Amino acid sequence: MKILSMIRKDLKILLSDKKALMIILLMPILLMTILSFALKGLFADDWEAGKVNIAVVKRYDAAGDEKRFQDALHNGLLARGMGQDAAEKLASAGKDTDPERIFFEEFLGSEEVSDILNYRVESEEKARALLESGEVSAIVILPEYYLYDMKVNLLTPFRNEVDISILTNPEATVNGQIVRSVIQAYSDSMSSAVIGKNALIESVMANDLGIGSFEGMETVMTGIMDALEAVKVEVQDIPLEGTKPISSADYYAAAMLTMFILFAAGHGGRMLLEEKENFTYQRMMAAGTSKLGILAGKFLVVFFIALLQIMVMTVFSRFALKVVWGDPIPVVLVGFTATLAVAGIGAAVAAATYRAGNYKMANIFETGVIQTMALLGGSFFPIDILPAAFQKLSVLSLNGIALKAYQKTMMGYGMEAVLGYAGILTGIGLVFAIIAVFILQGKGGAAHAGSYQTETAKA
Amino acid sequence: MLKVENLRKSFGTIKAVDGISFEVKKGEVFGLLGPNGAGKSTTISMISTLFPPSGGVILFEGRNILEDPKSIQRKLGVVPQDIALYPTLSGYENLSFWGNMYGLNGGELKRRIGEVAEIIGLNGRIRDRVDKYSGGMKRRLNIGAALLHMPELLIMDEPTVGIDPQSRSHILNTVLELNRQGMTIIYTSHYMEEVEYLCSRICIMDQGKIIASGSKEELVEMIGGKTEIELSLEAMSDEVLEILKDCKGIDSSEQKEDHILIRCENADLILADIITKVTAGGYHLKSVGVKKPNLETVFLHLTGKALRD
Repeated sequence: MKILSMIRKDLKILLSDKKALMIILLMPILLMTILSFALKGLFADDWEAGKVNIAVVKRYDAAGDEKRFQDALHNGLLARGMGQDAAEKLASAGKDTDPERIFFEEFLGSEEVSDILNYRVESEEKARALLESGEVSAIVILPEYYLYDMKVNLLTPFRNEVDISILTNPEATVNGQIVRSVIQAYSDSMSSAVIGKNALIESVMANDLGIGSFEGMETVMTGIMDALEAVKVEVQDIPLEGTKPISSADYYAAAMLTMFILFAAGHGGRMLLEEKENFTYQRMMAAGTSKLGILAGKFLVVFFIALLQIMVMTVFSRFALKVVWGDPIPVVLVGFTATLAVAGIGAAVAAATYRAGNYKMANIFETGVIQTMALLGGSFFPIDILPAAFQKLSVLSLNGIALKAYQKTMMGYGMEAVLGYAGILTGIGLVFAIIAVFILQGKGGAAHAGSYQTETAKA
Repeated sequence: MLKVENLRKSFGTIKAVDGISFEVKKGEVFGLLGPNGAGKSTTISMISTLFPPSGGVILFEGRNILEDPKSIQRKLGVVPQDIALYPTLSGYENLSFWGNMYGLNGGELKRRIGEVAEIIGLNGRIRDRVDKYSGGMKRRLNIGAALLHMPELLIMDEPTVGIDPQSRSHILNTVLELNRQGMTIIYTSHYMEEVEYLCSRICIMDQGKIIASGSKEELVEMIGGKTEIELSLEAMSDEVLEILKDCKGIDSSEQKEDHILIRCENADLILADIITKVTAGGYHLKSVGVKKPNLETVFLHLTGKALRD
């Protein structure tokens, strides 16, 4: 009953504190709204709305490349290396092989890829302007002699290096990664096809099987098509690892929620010392309330503040930002365990601050620890853009763990996917609660309740 | 009711309370008088079970409160020197919270809040936020929070510090009324006139020790205190001292720079006679002052310093 009174009283005090309410409730709502719109380009929600726009730049000269290839085939090194007849036969077998058609129509124009990418062919200058203005998320540059080199690769035993360049908009890193992945998949598949074709040609020539064997080129070409099928499969896997992509609103709703519940711990971290300085702590002790009872009260107050924050932010983001949090049961589990963890940390900070007799500890927590955890945990921006070493440190952040769990629920995963995270969060809460008890019960420092008149104690 | 024996408390090398003993009887107002830093608040903090003493025993109704703190906590009300309230809550919410802390709930709590608000004179403002109260109102609410559970023993630590005369008067009358209703009260203060006014027995503390105890009369008697009469004349003369020799009841008289100082047992009995004889001798009086011996005199006599030093 006493604990309930303490919780009720602290919540009333909080509700009468406009500054605290602003930090705890209003700021996260504002920030999640601003960030979800401002950093929309970082996220995959573009493909939900209208796919990733790219520009393709042709640095090659199609007619020139064709002429160059024919010259090489009849008069140049290719003819000398393979023999005129073999070269003619190869040219005939692969006369329908058009790298431009393969890239634009069969690859970018395929149903699967066109569901993800919208492409337009532009001059390099125009394409760069579009990239800077954000109208396209990436530029794919097909290099000089692209058609010539690709024909050599596809139709002769020789291999010429083909470097397809991709320029991305720094504000659309996720979209850039998607484009890179798609083009890389294309490139890998083409390489496989070329290697297979080369193996065939080399084998025919080495064993002197006769140029009739080049009839097998059709099989090679079928292999190329098969490889393109393989590209399609990979492309389907690119949209993150789950079943539903996460939008910027989804991400920042969870990111702000998990960061700002830490401020509940910061707020709670000051409460014990404030009570002592107010002499209400002593008065409660004189009324027969134990230290542990008072600490338990603070633990639960932080718990309920964090729970209130989660409820407000979840409801707001659901209706105002159309955030889809996922299956309610795992979402509630993550929220509940995250509040436990926050309450544990808040109690530990409160005990340490009380013990120290000043607010340095609480200040360090609010200005240093929370900001560091926010950075490492991905509350400011997705941690996959950080160096790998920093990404590993995210396990040290409570918000990072909770954010990962929320991302799972948002992507459509069920209870199994979040149980591990929930366990870690519960563990954090319990460990820090135990630490808080030890700190408060320990001897020395300013552990005792203190006199009703501090001046006397110093006399 | 409460017995303190050889109570000690040290903070490092500083002895805040140094072997004090006293007894508080049921139904009395017991005064702890001493200057700031005398050890009064430390003493009541130990009686309130806020922290243990370094040595000694505190018995409440025969039970050692160190072994059984619960025995005193529910029967004790403490009014701390500092305002121990939540300023952003209303007076009602504060009383409600502190009532809960003492185990009061529901209808009983509401009834007691109403009664206490009446006692402390805050009926009309009880729903206002405490940070809108004057200093005196906060002090009264601070007292009210200790009365909700109707304690048998009420400890009041400097409850009138820094407030207006009207609120002080209200508080002193409240103390007397509570005592009249049967509440035992320990009242600590460095205002000797409050202690004189309220307390039937008094302990004077200084530097962690009790330097004297007893009723006011006993304390004055202990130092052999005399009433002093100061006569200021328009024209001073040695002849006045001769006239005063004819007055009965004067123990001594002497001429100071600008007045004549007379010491006696009871000024009320002899003052009229002195004035009559001095004026009959042709001397015009400018002023007459009477200084009765009080606790200030006692403290000054025992320590060589004033209470407010």
